[in-house]
Amino acid sequence: MLVGSAAITAASLAYFDAETLPPFVIEKLPVRFESLWMASLKVHVASAALAFPLCIALMTRTLQRRPALHRWSGRLTATCILLLLVPSGVVLAFDAKGGSAVTAGFLLSAAIVAAGMVLGVRAARRRDLVAHGRAMRHVVAQMSVAVSSRALILALDAAGMDPELSYVVALWGPVLASAAIAESIGRRLGSFNPFSTVLRNRHDITPLAHLVRVRARVGPVARLGR
Amino acid sequence: MFALALAPSLALAADPPLVEWARQRVHSGLVKPLAEREDSTFSRAKPPPRERRVRVLATTATRDQNGGSFVPFAVDVRYGDKWREDILGCVYQGSGHLFVKRGDAYRPAEFLLGKNVEPVPGVCRGAPARS
Repeated sequence: MLVGSAAITAASLAYFDAETLPPFVIEKLPVRFESLWMASLKVHVASAALAFPLCIALMTRTLQRRPALHRWSGRLTATCILLLLVPSGVVLAFDAKGGSAVTAGFLLSAAIVAAGMVLGVRAARRRDLVAHGRAMRHVVAQMSVAVSSRALILALDAAGMDPELSYVVALWGPVLASAAIAESIGRRLGSFNPFSTVLRNRHDITPLAHLVRVRARVGPVARLGR
Repeated sequence: MFALALAPSLALAADPPLVEWARQRVHSGLVKPLAEREDSTFSRAKPPPRERRVRVLATTATRDQNGGSFVPFAVDVRYGDKWREDILGCVYQGSGHLFVKRGDAYRPAEFLLGKNVEPVPGVCRGAPARS
């Protein structure tokens, strides 16, 4: 995914060249609100170039073992996604190639990303790490569509499929598959992860178990006071 | 694919010189540079077609509002085994200037080669008939 993200960023540098129009822009023009569309494209590309590698890094154990770094990287990523990536993507979606079917696909993906991010941040703030992980897996899964969709476009082109049809297939396929995979991983981890089981069943924990947890936290402080 | 795109379009033996000239001009001024420019990058842009062909849409030139004579053309592309129309435009007799249709307007063909050029009003449209 990192290699794919880097390839997209490299291919997207042309969007910032004021002299030359890249093929994707040539295909699209003219659009109804050209200045807004061009600005949204640049914001979308730049924010994705930052947010996607950060998302991948945030999923690694290395960063997850460093809570402070994970927290601040997460805040930066969430801000970038919610304020830049998703709004600019929504603007671009309304002029997407392939008409309303493709617009709907991009909007669904944007909705999953935004909802996943909001739910994930709220879960992190209440220390519900299982729900946090589950929501963030959906965010990363939808962001990975950028890579899987482009790879599928190339594969379908090699198979001789019409580009108009392949564009629709290469969007909806990865959007739905990514959501399904993220959800199934979340469910699998949710049912086998002992930590999540404790969190899910926290209302059923006996008073004795609560006491043990309280003692475990208070113990060291009490010892310090002696 | 590159070699196919560079191959000149087949001219029919019966084509009048104007049609053949227009076909050659579109090929050298648009089809060949397009083929040289494009490659399969990791983007959402349409992949390069397997092949392109030029069709000249009139056997005689038409006069526009400014008195210039043009010949309309179309460029078809092939993905898989299906051909379909991709570019509409016109080529001007004498100057050899090429224009392509984008939306309702015509822009210089350099637009398709990546130059941000504005639409040119009045080109590629026949002058209204005098009553």
